[in-house]
Amino acid sequence: MAHKRLKFLGVAAAVLMLAMACGGSNGGGGNTKQYKIGLVTDIGGLNDKSFNHLAFVGLEKAKADFGIKDDVIESHNGSEYVPNLTNFASKSYDLVIGVGFLMQEAVGTVSTQFPNIHFAIIDGAGTDAKGNDLKHTNVQSLYFKEQDAGAMVGVMAGWLEKNGKSKKPQHVIGAVGGVSIPPVNHYIAGYKWAAKMEDPGIQVQVGYSNDFTDPAKCKTVAKAQIDQKSDIEFQVAGGCGLGVLQQAGQSGVYSIGVDADQKDADPSVIASALKKVDVATYTAIQNVVKGQFSSGALTFSIANDGAGYALDNLTLPAELKAELDKVQKQIHDGTLTPPADIPA
Amino acid sequence: MPPIARRLAGGLAMPLGSVVLAFVIGAVIVAVTGGNPLDAYSGLLCGGLGIACSQGENPALQVSTTIVYVIPLITTGVAVALPFRAGLFNIGAEGQLLAGMMACTAIGVKFSDLPSPILLPMVLLGGMAAGAVWAGVPGILKATVGAHEVVTTIMLNYVAQWLLRYLIIGGPLQLAPGTSKSLTIGPGAWLARVLPNDNSLVIFGLPAGVFRVHTGLLLALVAAAAFAFLLWRTSLGYEIRAVGQSQRAARYAGVSVARTIIVTMLIAGAFAGLAGAIQIAGVDHNLTDIYFSDTTGFDAIAVALLGLGSAVGIVLAAILFGALHAGGSVMQADAGISGSLVFVLQALILFSIAANFIGQIRRLIPGLGRPAALPPEMPPAAPMMTEAAVPPVEP
Amino acid sequence: MTVLTDILHLLFTANLWQATLAAAVLLLLPALGGVVSERSGVVNIAMEGMMLTGAFFGVVADLAWHNVWAATGVAILAGGMMASIHAVVSIQFRADQIVSGIAINIFAGGLTVFLVNRIYGLQDVGHLGQSDLLPNLNIPGLEQIPFFGKVLFQQNVVVYAALVLLFLTHIVLFRTRLGLRIRAVGEHPQAADTAGINVFMLRYGAVITSGLFSGLAGAFLAIGISNTFVPGMTDGRGYIALAAMIFGKWTPFGAFIACLIFGLGEAIYANNSIIHVSPYLLSMLPYLLTLIVLAGLVGRSTPPAADGLPYVPGSE
Repeated sequence: MAHKRLKFLGVAAAVLMLAMACGGSNGGGGNTKQYKIGLVTDIGGLNDKSFNHLAFVGLEKAKADFGIKDDVIESHNGSEYVPNLTNFASKSYDLVIGVGFLMQEAVGTVSTQFPNIHFAIIDGAGTDAKGNDLKHTNVQSLYFKEQDAGAMVGVMAGWLEKNGKSKKPQHVIGAVGGVSIPPVNHYIAGYKWAAKMEDPGIQVQVGYSNDFTDPAKCKTVAKAQIDQKSDIEFQVAGGCGLGVLQQAGQSGVYSIGVDADQKDADPSVIASALKKVDVATYTAIQNVVKGQFSSGALTFSIANDGAGYALDNLTLPAELKAELDKVQKQIHDGTLTPPADIPA
Repeated sequence: MPPIARRLAGGLAMPLGSVVLAFVIGAVIVAVTGGNPLDAYSGLLCGGLGIACSQGENPALQVSTTIVYVIPLITTGVAVALPFRAGLFNIGAEGQLLAGMMACTAIGVKFSDLPSPILLPMVLLGGMAAGAVWAGVPGILKATVGAHEVVTTIMLNYVAQWLLRYLIIGGPLQLAPGTSKSLTIGPGAWLARVLPNDNSLVIFGLPAGVFRVHTGLLLALVAAAAFAFLLWRTSLGYEIRAVGQSQRAARYAGVSVARTIIVTMLIAGAFAGLAGAIQIAGVDHNLTDIYFSDTTGFDAIAVALLGLGSAVGIVLAAILFGALHAGGSVMQADAGISGSLVFVLQALILFSIAANFIGQIRRLIPGLGRPAALPPEMPPAAPMMTEAAVPPVEP
Repeated sequence: MTVLTDILHLLFTANLWQATLAAAVLLLLPALGGVVSERSGVVNIAMEGMMLTGAFFGVVADLAWHNVWAATGVAILAGGMMASIHAVVSIQFRADQIVSGIAINIFAGGLTVFLVNRIYGLQDVGHLGQSDLLPNLNIPGLEQIPFFGKVLFQQNVVVYAALVLLFLTHIVLFRTRLGLRIRAVGEHPQAADTAGINVFMLRYGAVITSGLFSGLAGAFLAIGISNTFVPGMTDGRGYIALAAMIFGKWTPFGAFIACLIFGLGEAIYANNSIIHVSPYLLSMLPYLLTLIVLAGLVGRSTPPAADGLPYVPGSE
């Protein structure tokens, strides 16, 4: 049930956003208190075509459903994280959401100062300077098992290679990461692991563009991999990675999107590995509105439909669909566990 | 009006006019794109100076945040203004600042057990030395082979940025694999805060820990004073100004132009490096990826230009840009206007000062302002500073 | 030494050189613009901002009209508009050209994000379909030549356009009266003025040309290489172009060679799934190389004599 509802909500988000743009919200169902939710983006900003954007989508949806007052601050550089979080906390917001791994230390600092304010952080925890989780009772960590999503698209890539159903099947696929940091590598770990599970002889090229904003850089990396016989390219580099999808289209091979459903980014996109930051953001807000805030980690994975995949511009062979369903069920049940570190 | 007051008014008219002009154009841009300029600017005012806050912001907190931004702006502002006086354009304050941060962190981590009276001077001086090296290279290249300092400093900015990334991702300062930050510097290297960093203490209605103003503010003010003293009260300052006015004349007067250029850049780099060290010692205590996107060294150019290269002017201009920086966030939260407007305003201020729009407007409308206060022909901004056209505000 | 053998192996693949040329052209256009502008005596460090503006307005226009050629035109004009601000401020008002250049870059970065927010209402900037992008063009016949066919004749249309512009710029600057005048204005404006050359007019033209070139580069980036606008997507390319211009000693072909070197670096770096050196150290290379060139170790690099000096009629 929950599975279906979440999926529906995901689709509804976009529609609701349009509605928002046209008229604004009309308040939530009879609540006397209007909850105040503050969202602080990392330096990628709201138009990053990645998790900052998705967090905003979740926020807007919550606004429509619960009639919350939502405010957003985009951070233009990293020295703004603490002041921006403090801004909302000092104004007694009911929930302050920090988006992204880069904000861990800032959330740790500010949540120490405001023990009565609730915080949530995407992709991280409130940490001290050494990166240790402070385990504050007012901080909820929203983690994702990106490796689950990576594994699903890895199954697809591996199966297509093994059965000769990709564009130029030579048992070589590629992944282009932004920077070698945990959220990126989790995706690639699941992808490589699952591809090898499907097609043991496969070669998985892993490259980094060193960038999250410049599509040209990722495009060059993708091209190099395609030139090395890769014919399925997985992008894990936000806005930069759009160049990967495009290069795949121009080289006549397949590509796989990341974070959000990137079906529209290029016709070559056969699937997207989904990290449902919108669902996580929405859930965190919902918990606060319903008085069910809990501290500690909330992990979004295939098991709770917080991670997964979207099928895009490819009609799947029935056997592949069956294989995907099988693996998804196994991961869901815990009989298969994709690794968090990139396997050798 | 006494002459000193008139001169002051004349000196202030251009920068103030430039700021006002920029805000007017900014308001037009906001209005044309469907926003409300009044909302935007009241958000800026509240966020920057803690005045007229309508959404429950704490004025003391806003002022504190602004001051934290102002501290490095003053020090890097000096690092740009000093070479201006010698006719040099230091676009490299950013790289020098980063060099200072890297050195401060490296020393603070390496000798983390040393007590404060030893370690704190070590990290600050280390930061200054690193900044001086980073600026000294362009200085030497300029003095010896004539390589343009604008280009060399831009190149070194990028080198510093990538070096920073290397150090904390995969390099020797990295905390642990998978992280993009360094170890924490020893407590002995921390600059004390102005208010106790104690969250159980409530000041101005908030836990004291949120007020991040630190004693680096004093260092920054001392740096500004040192700049004024150096420029107007020492023979080196005389040489710097002489070189800035005319290298040929300076040479006739027996000044070694090459030596002055190198020394000027070394000192400027030391100021910028100090800014970086203060930032690490006073605010962050470790080197993190937040400085990949730092722009302090570029904002410093605006600070130096708007401050007309005087110590008081630099402090005032740093307050303006620090307030804009802090205000941008509040403007977005309260008025829903993208904080990027702040960059637009900053650029407009730069255009306006550089092109001396105010002077041009005055010339077109002679009745405006006090024509006697300004010479009819105002030279462009940077040369203006080098030619000492502005009277010193310092004693 | 597998790294070296890997690189050596790469150097003999047409793919690498194809990628090199594409990456080089993205730098070449703003670098050529810089050459023209600085040859006329106006320092231009604003290519970054002009490129970004071109990229942004190119995408906006393409999304609205679905006509890539018109959108490219808009991008070029947007770059030109930014350049005319630089021209007015630094030629007419005799502002410091470096300050003006910095202001343009800050302005472009702020304005594009601000407008993205206002126009697209915090939503995603849309993606363009393949048919709305600057197409790749394989030259019939020539593309069949082994090795060189792939490198030179299987490229985006902008690559060919840029190569044409490269020759054109060289010819105009060094083989025509106009070029002679532009260079005269950059070396000795007083003398040029005395000889009846309109210094202001030539400088305006040169600066705006640099904007048009940079705008085209922005279009190539946003609606050729990519299919959408990402804030800050130029990512310092305008500054690398500046380095290339100096590296190339203010000549079109010199700049081109520098762009090829930087482009080659980028193309080799793109193969980092098989080469393992700290990417951050590698990324420093273009800047360090430029410093070495500037240090005179590879021959001296001297700008035009009047570069950066506003022209005041009747002075000296």
